[in-house]
Amino acid sequence: MSIKVAAFLPEMLRHLFKKPATVRYPFEKTPPPKDFRGTPVFTASKCIGCMICVNDCPAEAIDIIRISETEKKFKMILHNDRCIHCAQCVDSCPTKTYHMNTEFELAAFSRHDLKIEYK
Amino acid sequence: MEVFKIPIGPQHPALHEPISLRMTLEGEIIKDADLRLGYNHRGVEKLAESKTYIQNLYLTERICGICSFSHSTCYTQGVEKLMELQVPKRGLYVRTLVCELERVHSHLLWLGVAGQEAGFESFFMYTWRDREVVMDILEIISGNRVHYAMNTMGGVRRDIDEQQKKKILDSLDLLRKRTEYYLNIGASEPTFVARITGVGKLPRQQAIDLCAVGPTLRASGVAMDVRKDDPYAVYDEVPFDVCTADSCDVLGRVVVRVKELLQSYKIIEFLLKNLPEGPVKVKAPRKVKEGEVFSRYEAPRGENVHYIKSNGTDKPERLKVRAPTLANYPATIAMLKNGFIADIPLIFAAIDPCICCAERLVQLDDSRNGSSRLVRFSELRRLAIDRHKKTGKIKKDSAWPF
Amino acid sequence: MAILKPILYIVVYPGLIFLLIYATFCEWVDRKLYARMQNRYGPLHTGRAGILQPVADIIKLLAKEDIVPEKADKGWFSALPVFALAVVATAALYLPVWHYDATKISFNSFPGDLIVVAYLLSLPTLIFFLAGWHSTNFFSTIGGVRVLTMLFGYEVPLFLALLSPAILADSWRILDIAQFFQANPLLLPANTIGFFIAVIALQAKLERVPFDIPHAETEIVGGALTEYSGKKLAFFRLLTDIEMVVGSGLIAAVFLGGFPGGLWWGLFHFVWKTLLIIFLLAAMRAAMSRIRIDQMINFSWRYLAPLGVLQILIAIVLKGTLK
Repeated sequence: MSIKVAAFLPEMLRHLFKKPATVRYPFEKTPPPKDFRGTPVFTASKCIGCMICVNDCPAEAIDIIRISETEKKFKMILHNDRCIHCAQCVDSCPTKTYHMNTEFELAAFSRHDLKIEYK
Repeated sequence: MEVFKIPIGPQHPALHEPISLRMTLEGEIIKDADLRLGYNHRGVEKLAESKTYIQNLYLTERICGICSFSHSTCYTQGVEKLMELQVPKRGLYVRTLVCELERVHSHLLWLGVAGQEAGFESFFMYTWRDREVVMDILEIISGNRVHYAMNTMGGVRRDIDEQQKKKILDSLDLLRKRTEYYLNIGASEPTFVARITGVGKLPRQQAIDLCAVGPTLRASGVAMDVRKDDPYAVYDEVPFDVCTADSCDVLGRVVVRVKELLQSYKIIEFLLKNLPEGPVKVKAPRKVKEGEVFSRYEAPRGENVHYIKSNGTDKPERLKVRAPTLANYPATIAMLKNGFIADIPLIFAAIDPCICCAERLVQLDDSRNGSSRLVRFSELRRLAIDRHKKTGKIKKDSAWPF
Repeated sequence: MAILKPILYIVVYPGLIFLLIYATFCEWVDRKLYARMQNRYGPLHTGRAGILQPVADIIKLLAKEDIVPEKADKGWFSALPVFALAVVATAALYLPVWHYDATKISFNSFPGDLIVVAYLLSLPTLIFFLAGWHSTNFFSTIGGVRVLTMLFGYEVPLFLALLSPAILADSWRILDIAQFFQANPLLLPANTIGFFIAVIALQAKLERVPFDIPHAETEIVGGALTEYSGKKLAFFRLLTDIEMVVGSGLIAAVFLGGFPGGLWWGLFHFVWKTLLIIFLLAAMRAAMSRIRIDQMINFSWRYLAPLGVLQILIAIVLKGTLK
């Protein structure tokens, strides 16, 4: 490989006339792909209260609470400030109660605004 | 000429993570370097003992951001061996595919960082723009750009369909063209080559003696690669070459990494074209019977080693991680001696330092009588307060280090 | 009333106010060109297309906390940025843009003012060294020493290059040189080697890549300016911008035929000629990486200085044949 003076220069001058590669977020957004791991969504009708998701969550972000003395009905509190969006709860659940949505713009002013309750 | 000490770090624009290098200088030449670690210690190994094997999957992934899949896979391989699981072929192929994609993105990142340390910001911008292609592919396969969470005990969690396969093969063409452009032009740009030739020389025998790993070792002409010496996943079925260079300096390491990029494209193409049918995972037990295992992996930076000891419950007894950067530190200090100040960032960047990988627990033995001792945090604090009281207020004209 | 024109000259155009506005505009042009060559946007949101970004940076710096190191000499430390800015702003007064009379000798145009401008432009280098020295920080000392070492490299080729049009035009006055080349535009290509040497030497004087060794960020943190913060750092940044304008104005006046045509046409010529030189500076900055100090000295004494001597020989031979 011989030494070329200013080897990059032609490519750089060509770039002066091309559109920049930057995506001007938040004015332009690229949509997330199909299987993007966003926030977990809980369907209360399918839950059987086995608590496998509570044990398997690496960040202790799930609380399953029984809301009825007589029937097997549960509600789930998701601590979205602790959630690491790994989707282990989706895999661990035996009744397919969870699925991940594509929400990723989760900024909030306080931790407590990020707790989601699914009934 | 006068001899004085300067601190590089813990805060320094050349370093991406905190590490303290105390250099002894004579003019512009470095005479000695004193390396101090520990600024990034997070207690990962202790934390791993209180989490189950499944939770540890995500913990080991977060040891590092760039080489996250290497820690995750090394751990998973080890635990699968303890559980005596046979992972199905398709699962191993997908796992190897993500391994190689991670290697591509890590080497492209390193090329940019090397350019930036040398002051060549345009190179940095171009390589990181091309890296975005790889990040988009990884997002499509795994759902996230970093921390892919693809591994699980017994295989991988997601499968690849035909549309994703086609997209990856198309992007490979673009990446291959750009990498060959960097090899041709970047290695012949006179100011860049002048900066990196002859810098950080590590002769072959010294590299072997100091136990260097990864591209640092391979640039000194030693063809050692865990993928060939001790094949894991499907590396015994995939044809590829181990890339070496003979110049033993930073230019050699650049050449080795770019050649590895081209090899990775070949491997990815082979994997995608020969993907076998079948399931991608098998069911794994929750409790692991007693045993210990030693698992090796070729991370983009070198050889990554995990040691796992199990005791029959669903939590590991001990997890020990030896990251490749830790093995490269003695070689770095040898390379820094007799170099210029201007070469410090380049020599340090050439080993591709991932300091948070290497901040693990190290137990030191007293060299006088071989005993080792464990010190509690409260006692460390007391020792520090005593020392501060003894040395008193720092005097006005005292020179650093005090 | 006669006193009004000189005051306008010193304060408004081409004095302080014009320099402040134009220097921030040139910094914006430089940053936009550098960014577009790297396939990204550059400053975008402050003002239309980011044109107010350099002004915003300076205002932000003016508002930040100003720390003087404990062992530094307070007087010197604080006075140096002001000296530097004053020196460079004074050098701008000698560029022949307006209010000059070719027949008379006045305060802004006299025989020998080429030497004065070249001298005033090399004072900031000494001031950087003093700034590094008085910061009592090891990194600053290394930076200051490197600044002076670089001066030994680029100053001689720069003077040799500036000498050659002066020989052709037979005068040491910038105005005479500019008017000579306006009268004989065919002689301009004779100075091309000198032009390129002067542009490279200007890049070294401004401490930009590939010659930003004295304040190499990834090696010695900030070089001579490591300990400066707040208002003093704002002054040093303004200094670099104004030095870019004055340096390119000098090269344009001497190599590209000056700024004829009075007030408005002179301004037009000044703007497009300095922007052309800034384009060359931005392209050099984007295309190369930083070199080491010993390589830089090697390069300038092995290639730049002999080329400068060659350029002078060409000028002398040409002058002899023209007579």
